[in-house]
Amino acid sequence: MSFMRQSLMRYGSLSLKNKIFGSILAVVLLISVAIAFVARYILVSSLTSELEMRGSAVAHSIAERGGTFMLDKNYPQLLSLIFDEARLHERKHLISYIFITDQGGEVLAHTLVRPFPSELRLANQVPLSENRSLRLVAVEGQSIHDIAVPIKEGLYRIGTVHVGLSKSHIDSLISKLRLTFLGFISAIIGIIFFLSNRITQYITRPISKLTRISDELSRGNFDITLDFQEEDQNWRPTECPAYVNTEMPCWHFDQSARQAATHRTCKNCVFYRKRQGDEVVQLGDSFRNMVWSIKLYRRRLRESEEKYRSLFDSGPDPVFVVDCADFRIADANPRAVELYGYEKDELLGMSYLDLGPENRADCMLSREGAPEFMAGASGSGAEGGGVEGAQAEVTGCLYHPKVLHYKKGARPFYVNVHACPISYRGRHAIIIAVTDITEMIEKDAQVIQAGKMKSLGEMSAGIAHELNQPLNAIKMGSEYLAILDEQGRAAEPGAFREVVREISGQVDRAAEIINTLRSFGRKAEMLKEHVDVNKPIRSVLTIVRRQFELDNIRFDLKLGEGLPPILAHDNRLQQVVFNLLTNARDAINEASGAADEGARRLIAVRTLPENGGVAVEVEDSGVGIPEDVRDKIFEPFFTTKETGQGMGLGLAITYGIVRDYGGSIRIDSEPGRGARIRLLFPQAL
Amino acid sequence: MDRKILVIDDEQPTLNMFRLLLSAYGYDILTAANGAEGLEAFARERPHVVLTDIKMPVMDGIEVLRRIKDLDPHAEVIVITGHGDMDLAIRALNLDATDFINKPVQRAALSQALARAEERIAIARSRAEDIPVTEVGDAAVLTLRGSVSARSEPMLLRAFESARALGAARLVLHFEENASVSGAGLALLTRLLSDARERGERVRIAGLSENFRKVFDMVGISRLVESGAPGELAE
Repeated sequence: MSFMRQSLMRYGSLSLKNKIFGSILAVVLLISVAIAFVARYILVSSLTSELEMRGSAVAHSIAERGGTFMLDKNYPQLLSLIFDEARLHERKHLISYIFITDQGGEVLAHTLVRPFPSELRLANQVPLSENRSLRLVAVEGQSIHDIAVPIKEGLYRIGTVHVGLSKSHIDSLISKLRLTFLGFISAIIGIIFFLSNRITQYITRPISKLTRISDELSRGNFDITLDFQEEDQNWRPTECPAYVNTEMPCWHFDQSARQAATHRTCKNCVFYRKRQGDEVVQLGDSFRNMVWSIKLYRRRLRESEEKYRSLFDSGPDPVFVVDCADFRIADANPRAVELYGYEKDELLGMSYLDLGPENRADCMLSREGAPEFMAGASGSGAEGGGVEGAQAEVTGCLYHPKVLHYKKGARPFYVNVHACPISYRGRHAIIIAVTDITEMIEKDAQVIQAGKMKSLGEMSAGIAHELNQPLNAIKMGSEYLAILDEQGRAAEPGAFREVVREISGQVDRAAEIINTLRSFGRKAEMLKEHVDVNKPIRSVLTIVRRQFELDNIRFDLKLGEGLPPILAHDNRLQQVVFNLLTNARDAINEASGAADEGARRLIAVRTLPENGGVAVEVEDSGVGIPEDVRDKIFEPFFTTKETGQGMGLGLAITYGIVRDYGGSIRIDSEPGRGARIRLLFPQAL
Repeated sequence: MDRKILVIDDEQPTLNMFRLLLSAYGYDILTAANGAEGLEAFARERPHVVLTDIKMPVMDGIEVLRRIKDLDPHAEVIVITGHGDMDLAIRALNLDATDFINKPVQRAALSQALARAEERIAIARSRAEDIPVTEVGDAAVLTLRGSVSARSEPMLLRAFESARALGAARLVLHFEENASVSGAGLALLTRLLSDARERGERVRIAGLSENFRKVFDMVGISRLVESGAPGELAE
């Protein structure tokens, strides 16, 4: 068994040429040997029987004619008879001898030129019942077919004729045949050898070339030429538009096999080639088509990779790839390195939560899909992100606006964060794109500041007047004391006390106004504080109330007691209140004049607790806000005042500030019936 | 001379201080916290001098001034303005206010204003009509005192004619300290002075309280006359 297996293995490892040649040779040999044997057998047997029949015929004829001579005992006639027979034409070669024996077995005549071998006499006896006997005898070292035919006279046997056919004749015939056959077979073998060689070469040469080429390709070397069929001059694949411009699709390449009922190609496809031909040609063509498809694919892939790599590297925003399993940063683009202040090798492997703690929930949410996103989004802990918090889109990405991140050295700054789930090297990960909004927030703060300055400017007339009052009282008090001093009089104790008290009180009043002013003008801190809403309202009223009252506008204040504090900045709330009050005044002045008799010029301010937070209402008896204006009123630079009367930023800034604190603004108004602005601030957590 | 003075101001501390200060000057003080009260007090007591704040709610000082002048055109009404509020001062003058004081109120300004007021009252009582014209050096000096208002028109015209008749090289309008020029007076002076300028006459203004010098600057009268150190009668 193992021998068989070994030989099979040996056979299997032969080259194709040898295999084919060997197989064909084996088959041919087998067949030819079989044919040889069969032919020989048939030939030999038929030749032999043919000769025997001739020999028998001769013997029978001799027996016929010799019978009379034997009866007559005419032995010379008998002898010449058999000599004639033996020497007749071509029988010379065939008949080796003829002899006749009588009944007693005595040789009566023979054609042998040698003395008659004695053993021949009795070598072949014809049995009485037979008419013929054939036996192979050996005479002087030669094999002879001895045919014995009895001579009959009537029924009576009177002798036997023996005709000896030399076997060597037959043998030489056969050997000639064999030789011819052999030569023929050799020629066949030779022809087969060449033919099989040529054919196998025709197959193996392209195959080994293909093998070499695919070896090169597997090593990634795509630049070798593919011209194994020499007649390929007019194949120029670089002329194919889809090859040059990778944005264009290729009919042949881009159709999925399952999609298309029939495969379509360009009318004159420069690329793919299918010639008529045998299997080798087709294999060559298909192989080349495949290689060029690979080249096309590689080209597209490389361009795409370069495109996205350059997008990743040169993107203006920092981009992180964060592994969901352990929140380690798997990759970061150069802008991230720049912005966060770490080296790249510090970033890779660092926990992303050191930079931005709020994205912890993103991985889980992104895996569960969009509906869970919507439900769980508000809990993502986006600080200052407003009531909506993180918004999920249908793509499964999360957006966190205005979140606090930390650069190297724990320096905080504000960013917008966009997180999308991906699969990165087979693992769940999220791509996080970060937009630095520090500048924007600073600009916001600057705009707010500018608005504030404008408000301050508006306030200045009122402020001047307000400060003048206490100064006046102080001055007059001290002048009084100076007069008394000059005149050498002493003041009445009541008067003296009154002056002193008044001076002190008025100084306090002036100081308070100045403080309110200063805090109003200050730029807000980044972090919010707990503020009682009534405080900024009262501060602003200190400044503007008298001025409004001079304009015959009355205030109706209902400030709630024990209001819960809200997370805000005191001076920004002052700005909001100031803005709302000035808007109310302007609205009232549009509806009526300061001197109008019986005009209702009233501003009502109310604060009350609501839903754990605080509601602030400012209601005026002014001209009202029409419905089409109500939507646009918070837009920056939208104003209904004449040019030069206002920039239209007040309500926009107010809206921004209120939203910043997580609050909402509502307007109830009808033209001619005044307006009520309602602010709702959420509970401070 | 009764020294009744009415002070109208909506700021309580200011009223208190006024009361103390004016009592040190020896006046009888009436106070009112708003325009309506003030008018009522004026109608009742008829003080000769009224001090009123201009910026007050409901009825402001201008309105009070108007109403008081309706009741008594000769009343001395001094308005109290905010610092640097010249517009309001001129408006008040146009309505025949006789003087104005800036807040914060200085002793000197207050006493001067009160003194002028008293002088004017005296002048008004003495019914001195004509404006004296004297010759000093090469200048003809017109001496103006008391209230210069619309009523002064015929007197002024006569004074100008006599000054011209003197044939002097220059005209000098000498305002005494107590001179108070009302709005109508300002308009009158403006007209006369532009007229003089067109005639090619050289006119100079002398005297005049600080307050009114500012008013003249604002109104543009200063430009119609020759510049020069004020207060000089002759070179």
